[in-house]
Amino acid sequence: MIRKASIALAAALTLGTQAFAADAPAEIKIGTLYASSGRYASISMPVHSALKLWVEQKNAEGGVYVKAFDKKIPIKLVAYDDQSNTATAATLYNQLVTQDKVDMLVADSGSVLTAPAVTIARDHKMFLFDQTGTGASFFSKDNPYIALMADPVSTIWPKPVADFITHDGPGLGIKKVAILYSTNEFTGTQANAVRKFIKDSGAPIEIVYDQGIPTETTNYTVIINNILAKEPDAVIHLGYAPNDIAFLRNVQDVGAKFKMLFCIYPGLETELLEKNVGAKGLQHVFTYVPPQELEYPVNFGMKMSDFKKAWDAKYKDGKIEFGFNSVAGYTTALVLEKTLSVATSLDRMELRKAVFSLSGKLKTLDGTFALDEMGGQIGELTPLGQLELNEHGHIKFVSIYPHETATGKPVYPRP
Amino acid sequence: MPDTLRHYLIIAVPLLIVMAVLPSVYSNHLLLFNFVIFFILAQGVNIIYGFTGYLPFGYVGFFGAGAYGFAIMVMHLNAPAPLAVLVGGAVAVVLGLILTPLLRLAGAYFSIANLAAALAVLHLVANPALEQITKGPYGVALNGTFNPTMAYAGGILILALTLGIVVYLKNSSFGLALQAVREDSFSASMSGVNVVKMRTVAWLASALVAGLAGGVFAWYVSVFYPDNVFSADFSIFAIVFALFGGVATISGPLIGVIILYGIYNLIGFTTPQYFQLIYGLLIMALVLFLPAGLVSLATRRGWYVP
Repeated sequence: MIRKASIALAAALTLGTQAFAADAPAEIKIGTLYASSGRYASISMPVHSALKLWVEQKNAEGGVYVKAFDKKIPIKLVAYDDQSNTATAATLYNQLVTQDKVDMLVADSGSVLTAPAVTIARDHKMFLFDQTGTGASFFSKDNPYIALMADPVSTIWPKPVADFITHDGPGLGIKKVAILYSTNEFTGTQANAVRKFIKDSGAPIEIVYDQGIPTETTNYTVIINNILAKEPDAVIHLGYAPNDIAFLRNVQDVGAKFKMLFCIYPGLETELLEKNVGAKGLQHVFTYVPPQELEYPVNFGMKMSDFKKAWDAKYKDGKIEFGFNSVAGYTTALVLEKTLSVATSLDRMELRKAVFSLSGKLKTLDGTFALDEMGGQIGELTPLGQLELNEHGHIKFVSIYPHETATGKPVYPRP
Repeated sequence: MPDTLRHYLIIAVPLLIVMAVLPSVYSNHLLLFNFVIFFILAQGVNIIYGFTGYLPFGYVGFFGAGAYGFAIMVMHLNAPAPLAVLVGGAVAVVLGLILTPLLRLAGAYFSIANLAAALAVLHLVANPALEQITKGPYGVALNGTFNPTMAYAGGILILALTLGIVVYLKNSSFGLALQAVREDSFSASMSGVNVVKMRTVAWLASALVAGLAGGVFAWYVSVFYPDNVFSADFSIFAIVFALFGGVATISGPLIGVIILYGIYNLIGFTTPQYFQLIYGLLIMALVLFLPAGLVSLATRRGWYVP
């Protein structure tokens, strides 16, 4: 009897294994969009290029390990060019879902090009791997089909800046703060967050200037004089790269000496800013410290130095900038890979469960991957740093806050 | 058979039936929906440019105003989506009324002023100080009304209305008077045509269809930023499609959308790396050889194009 049962069990297992292997797809289809031209090309191409680099690497190794089929399976990247056009992006996302029937859906970079994907993913009950769309409106308790991979959600991103001002600021003599921001979702939400963190802290900090201006603003001369008239101890400028370039140039033109000046993009697109503003114009400017300046310990994927080597080998011409956005793209790739290695099926909700199971445990070159309950990224925070000149007159980062990651003391007031 | 009925039967009705049936055979519904939106917008441009000669570079202002009219009704008054779409259209008409003085300008001056007006509306909507009303730059998420199927049906109805307006303009004395105004407003005025009234009605009709299209677009996509619905791409595409097919006709803008937007998506799905090259060459060829649009191939030979 026992023998018969053993034979039956063995036969069942054999058949089961055969069926399991037969069910495994020839490739895992990952669908995504990129913008080769238009307003978002500069952030989209580094992210997408990093994703492509990872796909090539993994396919050269025979694919990625997929737990659902207990084997390595090659990846097929299905990518369309939305050219920074949101209506086109919407159509192409739908194409990926309905026609290409991709296994995993990855959004383009930035909130504006991610927005159409949020609706489509939800409509088709498809889990969306949101690369850098930090918009707070994407993440709600009634939308389980999204998680942010690589940038902190806008509502917490500027926490290190606000914490530095409220914790260390009074000791340094910072009492009055000016906030100038471009009126778009990304920088508008950061301004809201800074304001909230400062007010909630109860620190003796007064916001003496708080002004939103159109993102298209190119001349800040009058605005800078208005800020100077308020005599702030710290100025926080929140804008896109072109805003930062125009603002910092005008600060030099006017000869304004702000005691502390924070801008976002000197940290995120350093080469671009150094080229357009000059190293002198960036000296002593406070900014976010990108992960490539910090070398976080990793428990999955390449270390920063190895990633840089792989990047330089693949993109020899240097036309696509290595930096914050390329790290974001590679981080997304690592989350995809790790998700496939723990998900027991490719079912949407199983993918979600797998992604959330990585929260707090996955440590990549971008820091610790951590999600809140709605899928917003709350790890991977970018510390506050200050730009100084090295012995060759080039820009170098000095991490200032939080103190655990600090590599130096702030230069305050700016000489 | 009267021309009006014939135009309905050979152009409007078949197009509406095809667009209504296509979702059951092709699953990229959003692509079909975008076709419907561009049919409406290209015809909206046709109404104001084809029949009056005003080229609206800022046409997207009405579209965006309609989208935000929809959003505000849903967010603050919990209005049902169809009513909110109608309000979107009404908001665009009100905006059109406010901008009526622009019609005193002509040619490039009107186009530039219209573009500036659309940007002004964008910055008004995206103003953080209006966060409580428009959500400012932070984006709108209208999860409660999300219903792509009904929104698509709404789009078909608005397309029917738009085609109805264009067929009327093509076949009525009103449309003829508008074209007279376009050719020579002074002579038309001397002939008893009320130039100001004619232009204003066409302007508001054009605003209405764009506003309704914006409303139904907001209903379909449900999550968007000011930059999404005020994107200049909408204006550019609608104008290029209308010009490519040929304005002041019923079929021209439709042909323009089918060919150009069809090619746009075909290239986008197959060879995106050649997109700018192919599309650019196509538009250059149009400007050089067919400045009056594709329909001029037929009209040059004396053939009638509806």
